[in-house]
Amino acid sequence: MSDAQFESALQSREKPTGLSVELRERTSRGMIDLRGLPDDPQFMAAVKQTLTLDLPTAPRTSTAWGDIQALWLSTDQWLILCPRARTEELLSALRQALQGIHSFAVDVSDMRTIIRLEGDQARPLLLKGSSLDLLSADYEAGTVRRLRFAEIAALLHIVSQKPDVIDLYVFRSYADYAWDWLLANGRVVAEVRQFGKQASPAV
Amino acid sequence: MLIVHCPVCGAEGDETDFHYGGEAHVARPATRDPADVSDAQQRDYLFMRHNPKGLHFERWRCDRGCGKWFHAARDTMTMEFKATYGIGELPPRELMKAATGEWAEFFKDKLAKGRKA
Repeated sequence: MSDAQFESALQSREKPTGLSVELRERTSRGMIDLRGLPDDPQFMAAVKQTLTLDLPTAPRTSTAWGDIQALWLSTDQWLILCPRARTEELLSALRQALQGIHSFAVDVSDMRTIIRLEGDQARPLLLKGSSLDLLSADYEAGTVRRLRFAEIAALLHIVSQKPDVIDLYVFRSYADYAWDWLLANGRVVAEVRQFGKQASPAV
Repeated sequence: MLIVHCPVCGAEGDETDFHYGGEAHVARPATRDPADVSDAQQRDYLFMRHNPKGLHFERWRCDRGCGKWFHAARDTMTMEFKATYGIGELPPRELMKAATGEWAEFFKDKLAKGRKA
């Protein structure tokens, strides 16, 4: 392939200050879009053999093995994350293993930008841009959810809880917009303090 | 704000996460040769839709979620989603029974036959 170097859509941005959350871009992850039928044992076995992890079949979940992760996107679609440098090697191994099996694997490393949010204010901040009940127990560590976030399509991955580490995936062309949105809404003065903690008013 | 529940991925969200996709259970006239389809049949398939006040059956897509199509039973008066169900399925029996007007007509023989689409 070409010797083109990866360039982040946010590379000119400075490390943000004055925010209620820790914000940074993750540039080290390669991504593979994998499609196939979860009820095809041949497909599942081939993937397992190549990635040494079981693809998550339960909706909105993820699995991980070492530095490889699989995120559930749909009943027949997964996003495989791996170290960026290993993407090509992993992709060709996957294609080799999936030969003759009804499936599809494509390198989409440069399709999305990953923004990592860390801190107790991560959920309240994301809540400002979405209609989901992110404070509910449904959104535990490992949860993956595609959603409409601040009017754009995004993918949310709750990496860990307490303190919250949340990865927000947006399409690369929206990276600037999403970053600016987070900067504007994540300022300490704009912090959400009472959300979800207020007692309902007496009627 | 409509709260919608996707039967495929189990996600719940407001209607901006979803997309309305027209009336449910519109069957395309089955034929090998398009010439066999009468103008009236073609007209019904393309244009004729129910417009009930009350229980209505629609197609929706989990647009920003899993991307799959599903069916929904919605009340056009209260905007309440009574149920959502898979794309190849019929509505729950009690909703088929609760349907009125053209929908009642549509579900009559399906209720008699059982759950098979």
